[in-house]
Amino acid sequence: MDLYLILFYFFAIITLVSAFFVVTTRNVIYAAFNLMLTLFGVAGFYVLLGADFIAIVQLIVYVGGILILLIFGVMLTNKITDTDIKSGFLNRVPGLLIVGTFAGILIGTLLKSTWRIAAPLPPPVAGLVGIGNLLMTEYTLIFEILGAVLLIALIGAASIARKQSN
Amino acid sequence: MIPVQDLFASAPLLIIGGSILIALILEMVFDSQSSIVAWFSGSALLFTAYWSLYHLYDRGFAFNNMISISGRTQLLFFIVNFAAAVVVMFSMDYIKKIQTNYGEFYILLLSAVLGMMLIAAARDMVIVFIGLEQMSICFYVLAGFRRKNIKSNESAIKYFLLGSFATGFIVYGMALLYGASQTFSIPEYLAHVETLKSNPIFLLGSLLFVIGFTFKIAAVPFHMWVPDVYQGAPTNVTAFMSTAGKVSGFAALITFLSPFIDYSARTTGSAKFFMPFLATLSVLSMLYGAIVALSQSDVKRMLAYSSIAHAGYMLIGLSALSYEGVDGVLFYLVAYTLMNLGAFGIISILETQDEKMLKIEDFAGLSSRSPLLAAFLAVFLFALAGLPPFAGFFGKYFVFVSAVENGMTWLAIVGVISSVISVYFYLRIIVLMYFSKGENTEVVSVPKSALLGVFVVFIMFVIMSAFPQKFEGIIHTIGLLTY
Repeated sequence: MDLYLILFYFFAIITLVSAFFVVTTRNVIYAAFNLMLTLFGVAGFYVLLGADFIAIVQLIVYVGGILILLIFGVMLTNKITDTDIKSGFLNRVPGLLIVGTFAGILIGTLLKSTWRIAAPLPPPVAGLVGIGNLLMTEYTLIFEILGAVLLIALIGAASIARKQSN
Repeated sequence: MIPVQDLFASAPLLIIGGSILIALILEMVFDSQSSIVAWFSGSALLFTAYWSLYHLYDRGFAFNNMISISGRTQLLFFIVNFAAAVVVMFSMDYIKKIQTNYGEFYILLLSAVLGMMLIAAARDMVIVFIGLEQMSICFYVLAGFRRKNIKSNESAIKYFLLGSFATGFIVYGMALLYGASQTFSIPEYLAHVETLKSNPIFLLGSLLFVIGFTFKIAAVPFHMWVPDVYQGAPTNVTAFMSTAGKVSGFAALITFLSPFIDYSARTTGSAKFFMPFLATLSVLSMLYGAIVALSQSDVKRMLAYSSIAHAGYMLIGLSALSYEGVDGVLFYLVAYTLMNLGAFGIISILETQDEKMLKIEDFAGLSSRSPLLAAFLAVFLFALAGLPPFAGFFGKYFVFVSAVENGMTWLAIVGVISSVISVYFYLRIIVLMYFSKGENTEVVSVPKSALLGVFVVFIMFVIMSAFPQKFEGIIHTIGLLTY
């Protein structure tokens, strides 16, 4: 077992276990901290895949930004920290059946099929300069319309939060 | 470098994109009570609709083959822009009536149109996905635009949660597609469809992607959100979501399935990949939509179930995986957009400030309260029921014929049965309007701009109903040019 595999399983276990607790815990603060571990594990995957830039962005934006905002939101909101999240289960048996079938099909197909790992991948883009060049040449359209999506998310959020008269 | 012809080819996208920014500035500069943003967005949308129709036979690729401009794209551009322009006409008085007269309504509408146009033009899965997100974010906000109304809130949160869930399917599907083919480009899928069609990961990814979009087109069993969202959202937003939103869902499905459609056309139908899946969804949607609509007492809810049934009819055309089927779906989409826009537009005029006039029995005696609106509504309902000589009938006809030609006569039979069932609940309203007396005898006051919207839709619809063959011919020609 080489170091790469050991690291992979390390990050995989962190991600899966913490993600499980995010969903099952009944305390908002515990969920938020577990979410931090999940996002951290995903950043680890990016490093292992050679995508350093995305890994750093993941850490800065998600762990450093969004999660902190989330925890601040929890802190500043009155009486939310010690409230239990009320989430129950409905239709336990049919739900389990559907999820089980779905997971069975997914896992079965993924295990049985051969992945085209040996196929020639395009050469990896080197660092920030390469990414910047690609964003401004080949992926201009995607870059621009992502800007539009972010703009409309801002407008939408402002519209929901604005004080409506009447 | 971006060649100049790229910019020209993607002009409709650029016009709408620019209009969003200009509308934002107008909204900031002018008084919030003036309707300048509405006028501006309406004219931008109408201009873009005209532009796409004028360039109907142009074709070309732009931005490194990420979007393609073909006849089909231009037709879809036209439908969504036209629908949005008509919705602007309906909204000018409606959002004042429900006391949410804010300029950002039109900005969100324009942005949703931009997302829909991206979906229609996409030749790359990433563009489909970003376009979908752009559209959905606007819809989530628009559905909850009436913030003091509890139903509108419920509608927004329900749509948001289930929509995000569907997005999860789409992203997972796309990851598998990339894992199997190492590309997001649809022309690449087209080129390698022979090898990809036997790759289980690719098929699984395709299935997940298609499931995600069947949420968006509201087909059973992925329809749970539709009745509550359509009922709770402001009526003008419902008019937009149920027409243009559905058009873009089908646009994405047609774009994604086009390699398979092309393959099964080349090999004379030897490979019907998604036929069983799509046919099952189609049967379930048609029957469920038609039967459950029978027992509804709220007219918006009834039309929501009817839109589920209509998604089922259109899925017949897709499940045939043939060019004729896709032509039929496009014809149906245009007809359905016009009929549904008209029906919801009239409901938005009739609806009172405190949300009265939404029960079916409220329509009793409408013909004496407003003969003009009653006549228009009767035409649109007749057309939705699929009765000749209206375009709704021809839409169903083309779709059913494509099913019969591809050896799926049983599917067409189920479609006919479901149409017959659905005639009842459409005609019930017409009978109430004309043959019974209501308690309310007050004359309806009709705002001019909304009436103009209904009138424009009606004229378009009459033209389409009068020349179905010619229209089908145009769709067929531009469909051939697309490949």
